[in-house]
Amino acid sequence: MLLVVTYSRGARGTLRNVCRTHEEVVVRRFGRVALLAETEFAAFQALRLREKHGGDVQIERTEPFNEFEAVGASVREAAAAYEARDESALPYAAFAAGSDHPDPEQLRETEL
Amino acid sequence: MSHGAVVTVRTGAGRREGRVVDLRDEDIDPERLVAAVRRDARTSREANDGGLAVDCPTPRTVHEHVGWVRPSMRVRVRTALAAAARSRGGEAPQDDELAAVRSELAELTVPSSPDLRTPRERVAGTDAAVERVRERVAALRGRVRAGREAGRDVAELEDELAEATRELSERETERAAAREALERAERLARESRDARERRRRLEDRRANLERRARAHLVERIREEYETALAAVPDGPERVDDPLAVEGSAAALAVGRVADLRAPVVLDCPIRK
Repeated sequence: MLLVVTYSRGARGTLRNVCRTHEEVVVRRFGRVALLAETEFAAFQALRLREKHGGDVQIERTEPFNEFEAVGASVREAAAAYEARDESALPYAAFAAGSDHPDPEQLRETEL
Repeated sequence: MSHGAVVTVRTGAGRREGRVVDLRDEDIDPERLVAAVRRDARTSREANDGGLAVDCPTPRTVHEHVGWVRPSMRVRVRTALAAAARSRGGEAPQDDELAAVRSELAELTVPSSPDLRTPRERVAGTDAAVERVRERVAALRGRVRAGREAGRDVAELEDELAEATRELSERETERAAAREALERAERLARESRDARERRRRLEDRRANLERRARAHLVERIREEYETALAAVPDGPERVDDPLAVEGSAAALAVGRVADLRAPVVLDCPIRK
């Protein structure tokens, strides 16, 4: 999908108008941000917005996140295990310390 | 309206003076007259534009809203009333914070966003170009090997392979350079966006404070305005929402409750 982020009041106003006028291209709108459908018409609207507001408009293309492709099993298992922990106040670093789960530093340093 | 100072108007025809200056017998473009009122006669080079000059105190902000009264005018009543309250020294609880936000905004510098278009265009197609040449290299390798196994002369094919291999390396280098340039531009863009985001938040806060300050000021002057509106000659007979009244009636009522320093230009029929 196309992620459109606006960085000024003017650009946000135009985005709002585009979303109101062309509901069919809008997958989701959050205030000054919108997710648009993956069509040329949506791309046209996003580009038009950027023509008008320049650097106040950012367009990114997103793809669904598949944890079975993007990360190894250890990360998926760590997330599941941490959310099932008994002590709700336990920080993840402490949780991982005495276990086989990856430590947070290691996770931070590994790119997807 | 305050008991304003004496106003001097110089036109091509001569000079007139008074608290009220009647120019109906002269052919003067009202817009030029308003401009002359708002112009500082002592410092402006345009002061003698067409021989028209008005000597009067400098208008306050409220003059921008109601300083030129004409039947077809549009008045943003809330904004005008807030300016009227300000002209009388009115203050709002939001003023200090508003001043702080304004000065923060004035000091904020936003780095200009880098050119992302050129590096994006440069990256586009580099993958396909590398892939194309890579396939050609693989095919040539296969043909060279097959030719050798069959005992044929492969010198020409080897030259072609060497050429394709060199091209592959060039394409790969170009792709890497293009990607790096794009990443660099995107990093700069992120910095610029961080600053833009800060500015946007400040602007939202300023707008919010301005709205609240205006509401406060309007509330304090609203009753007086409604009384003034009811007293406007030929004014609206029934008013459901006094703040939504259009045209000269609203302007005259706002002018009545404001402390106007500079003269108002009446560009409409007057009933004495």
